[in-house]
Amino acid sequence: MLKKTILLSLCAISLSGCVGLNTVSMTQVPAERDNKITTNSSSWNFIGINFSNAFVDEAIENLKEQCPTGKIEGVYTKHQTTGYVLVFKREVIVSAYCNEV
Amino acid sequence: MPIKLKGILGLSFLLIGGCSQLHHVHIGEIDQSQGTLTPFTLKVNELGFDAAKAAQIGADVAKSASTSEDLELVAFILAISNFGPKTGNPVYNDAYADQMLAEVIKVCPSKKMTGLTSVREATNVGPVSGEVVRINGYCIN
Repeated sequence: MLKKTILLSLCAISLSGCVGLNTVSMTQVPAERDNKITTNSSSWNFIGINFSNAFVDEAIENLKEQCPTGKIEGVYTKHQTTGYVLVFKREVIVSAYCNEV
Repeated sequence: MPIKLKGILGLSFLLIGGCSQLHHVHIGEIDQSQGTLTPFTLKVNELGFDAAKAAQIGADVAKSASTSEDLELVAFILAISNFGPKTGNPVYNDAYADQMLAEVIKVCPSKKMTGLTSVREATNVGPVSGEVVRINGYCIN
């Protein structure tokens, strides 16, 4: 009986979805789309306890570093949470276009 | 589970539960071609309160079993009466973020800004929370 319960639990865990899409946002997409830049930053937590959302600012800094003298346009931002067993990963994934003016 | 142990467990969760939640993030376009950038941050914070959670904590720490059961029922009624889509805890002021636009307009002396990032987040301590709207951006010098 115990064996069956464990097997059933493992099956249920493997079938359940583990990614939650929190938000998606997009700005105006430019006509010039040759230089695509991407970045992501994340924060891990145990049973959802976090003390800071500073990982968002990390993503912005990474994006700025990839386009130091240009204009970052067509910014696509995705905020998602992936759940593992008792541990969660919050993530901001950003893609954009860097255009020199 | 004995009521005392439940109470201690409940209070422990309340104390370690100082928790930062990220609800929404939107990153805007960043123009680094027009000059140096000076970062700025504007933030508004409003008190949020989860009455159902407060009643549930009361039920966990109540000394008598009958009080605990009564409070659990109150928590259940509060939970189902507030059931539905929401972001964070309910607040008592629906206009707390309205002054944000006026503040953003005032922040840059050159009136030119870029890289506006809007963040909706919250800091939770038990049933109480700070419901925050934060705008980060850069003034173009």
